[in-house]
Amino acid sequence: MNKSDFALIGFLIVIISLIFILLYFGNNKKVSNAIVYYEDKEILKIDLSKDKIYTVKGYNGDVRIKVKNKKIKVLKEDSPLHLCSKQGYISKSYESIICLPNKIVIKLENNSDIDVIAG
Amino acid sequence: MEMKKFTRLSLLLALSVVLNIIESCIPLFNGYLPGLKIGLANIVILFILYCYSFKDALYVSILRVFLVGMVRTGLFSVAFFFSLGGAILSLYAMFCAKKFTRLSIVGVSIIGSIFHSIGQIISAMFLVNSSAIVFYLPWLLLFSIPTGILTGMISKQMMESFKDLNEIGVSLY
Repeated sequence: MNKSDFALIGFLIVIISLIFILLYFGNNKKVSNAIVYYEDKEILKIDLSKDKIYTVKGYNGDVRIKVKNKKIKVLKEDSPLHLCSKQGYISKSYESIICLPNKIVIKLENNSDIDVIAG
Repeated sequence: MEMKKFTRLSLLLALSVVLNIIESCIPLFNGYLPGLKIGLANIVILFILYCYSFKDALYVSILRVFLVGMVRTGLFSVAFFFSLGGAILSLYAMFCAKKFTRLSIVGVSIIGSIFHSIGQIISAMFLVNSSAIVFYLPWLLLFSIPTGILTGMISKQMMESFKDLNEIGVSLY
């Protein structure tokens, strides 16, 4: 390893920290809704204040989504590794559940702009 | 292509496929960061890039993705396109880093590792049509640095060992 290698590592650490800060602390808002997408199309909007179990159709079959205490998770889905049901609950605006085999994406959002003005 | 070189590149291709299969048996973080790999196959690709040429490395890299796709993940599956995007982008990045910067093989390996993650994320964004996956990128990038250093050092060691063999008359490249 020579000098420019160490310079590269230092540069990369700075850039990665910047990305972390921008992505994770730059948009840490309260969430009220979850939106479920199938192949980029919005198929379901979920109100996080009600505890309930929803079922949507994914590419490999039904995907069961559970809402509890303003948090959301995938209960059961059909995929080789079951990564999105292993992921557990998410509750912050920057978090998302992405289930590639089922082509399902769950994003969280804050629907009321009023909160922003009041806050 | 000369027969000797052709045979050696085939052996290296077989080696990279085997390394790819071995590394998929090593779980990192219990599967909580899917797509995170050590990148052992990159050892072979780096070796070819340094000892042969960019073109040979590109052939071996693309053939490796196809072979691994046929053996393990299934041709034209989601994982196949991830690998293809990552492999091609990282190889071009390594070639540019080797040609235009003063980085040693370890630095070039880190560049390759970083761009492999970026290539994977870009192909994932096309496949899922979602930008939410970008939030996953910093995690992959963070682990790209240590894995890049590791594969670069192994590659360097491999080149030195082959040089020793060359000196005692066993020509390997």
